[in-house]
Amino acid sequence: MTAQTKHAMDGDGGASLLSIRSLVVRYGDPAAPRPGVTAVRGVSLDIEPGRIHALVGESGSGKTSLARAVLRLLPVESGELLFRGQDLLRMSGRQLRQARRSIQAVFQDPQASLSPRRSVLQTLREPLDHFGLGRSAERADRAVAALEAVGLDTSLQHRHPHELSGGQRQRVALARALVSNPDLIIADEPLSSLDVSVQAHIIDLIRELKETRGLAFLFVSHDLSVVRRLADTVSVMYLGQLLESAPAAALFAHPAHPYTRALLASVPVPDPDHPPPIALGGEPPSALTPPPGCVFHMRCPDRFEPCASQAPSETFPHGKDANQRVRCHLWKT
Amino acid sequence: MLRLGRQTLTAVDGISFDMRPGEVLALVGESGCGKTKTAEALMGLIPPALGAVRAKRIDLAGRNLATLAEPALRRIRGREISMVFQEPLTALDPVFRVGRQLAAVFRRHRRLGRAEAREASIDMLRLVGIADAGRVLERYPHELSGGMRQRVIIAMAMACRPRVLIADEPTTALDVTTQAQVLEQLTTLARDFGTAILLITHDLGIVAQYADRALVMRRGRIVEDTLVGALFREPGHPYSAELLRATVVVALPPEAGAASGDMAGTR
Repeated sequence: MTAQTKHAMDGDGGASLLSIRSLVVRYGDPAAPRPGVTAVRGVSLDIEPGRIHALVGESGSGKTSLARAVLRLLPVESGELLFRGQDLLRMSGRQLRQARRSIQAVFQDPQASLSPRRSVLQTLREPLDHFGLGRSAERADRAVAALEAVGLDTSLQHRHPHELSGGQRQRVALARALVSNPDLIIADEPLSSLDVSVQAHIIDLIRELKETRGLAFLFVSHDLSVVRRLADTVSVMYLGQLLESAPAAALFAHPAHPYTRALLASVPVPDPDHPPPIALGGEPPSALTPPPGCVFHMRCPDRFEPCASQAPSETFPHGKDANQRVRCHLWKT
Repeated sequence: MLRLGRQTLTAVDGISFDMRPGEVLALVGESGCGKTKTAEALMGLIPPALGAVRAKRIDLAGRNLATLAEPALRRIRGREISMVFQEPLTALDPVFRVGRQLAAVFRRHRRLGRAEAREASIDMLRLVGIADAGRVLERYPHELSGGMRQRVIIAMAMACRPRVLIADEPTTALDVTTQAQVLEQLTTLARDFGTAILLITHDLGIVAQYADRALVMRRGRIVEDTLVGALFREPGHPYSAELLRATVVVALPPEAGAASGDMAGTR
């Protein structure tokens, strides 16, 4: 057993594919006269192999910054990103390149993330050429196989993005992520630019890829009904912090954090006899000047005396085995 | 009918419906079914180069909008029938402060002077739930949050207490907690003003919670026109039933507050 695999077996990193430890992401030059925005403030979470971990939160909560930091598209201030026990932040260029073969990305808008000048086939071949995967002659076959894996007709391989529908484009973006045979896909709002009926098909596809290939996803989304259909684990972010993280069934059945409850309560239920949504007052405070104490206390319907002054620590309201963790003074350690 | 190159497409095909004062009428259907084209046709916003609107009548309080010339329509648009779009950033002009854009509605349609228009703007912003209205007037659109911008748009659209407001996916670009605030304020204000809302949405949760009546649209036609309660209890068209089956219920469980475990503090 190498030192690295041993490290991966230790502690609560357990069998995680990716362990994010106390991640801090800050925008702006620390030496600049005006301090930057700290978008992610000490977030820890684990992504298990073959599981879908959803990251939810409102705009400005830091979920996209976290996803981008994992892809190393943003500089990280501190923390660890342990991929199979190895810290992505301490890797050399060569090692990082290898890791990136295993960690691929799908973004919100396929129109922007696909090159308009390349045919589908060229787009799908590029990762294979870049990582030197397979013999050159095989690469076109592997690219076409990826196209089939996402349910697209192989006749589309010579098309350009503008000749495809939005749903087809997002399938191509997924195929591009799959072609290097990764273990983890970071998907940032991959359904938001699609029609509802098209969304349903992509949801089925993501589920199928998870089942058949054992793929893990970090799935960033603001849409709770999509998350409900897809996620195995859900983490809720607010103003750069993780307020609650739990297996999806537990989170939807007994949400523990007042913010999670407020999020669920604000979704209009498709039943006229159901009580109307409860609007959460106010707006999230500025990430430039986060409030003291609990980051959510200013809007929290359940706040009491320690909330404004002391930052709550993480607790397990249903015991450690239940794996539901929450950062709220309402729950005792 | 829309012209696409040499081809034409009938986006909306012979639809008829009524709206009553103060009611919220939902127009539901998937993208591409003709919801937005219906709205644009009602507003007279389809340029002749792009398509033709043929309507027997678009009757608004006794006047037939279908036969009105553009100058007459321009006096009605924004005053008697107005519209809120999905994306609030594109509906505001980025180079002018919010106050100037909102005041322009009062100056144009109600012929108010500068100071009166500012007063009216502040009152209107308060009605859509903006407490520090004076400060918001001094801001440029990019300085406001999405929810704030959409409130400003609603204030502009409701400024003249229109008879009809067309709201095309007004909260699709907003976070879910903001959506609840904005829809609540919008529907309350419309009821107070007696404004009928045509609420275009793909979200059946929004239909169930905010609308009185619903039109289900598919491929340019209205396949069902019914009260909201009836739509959810016994949908009258197979397509409506299909839409209902495709929705996923996300809700706060009733017992969520009292979940087992040790809760500290007093509740």
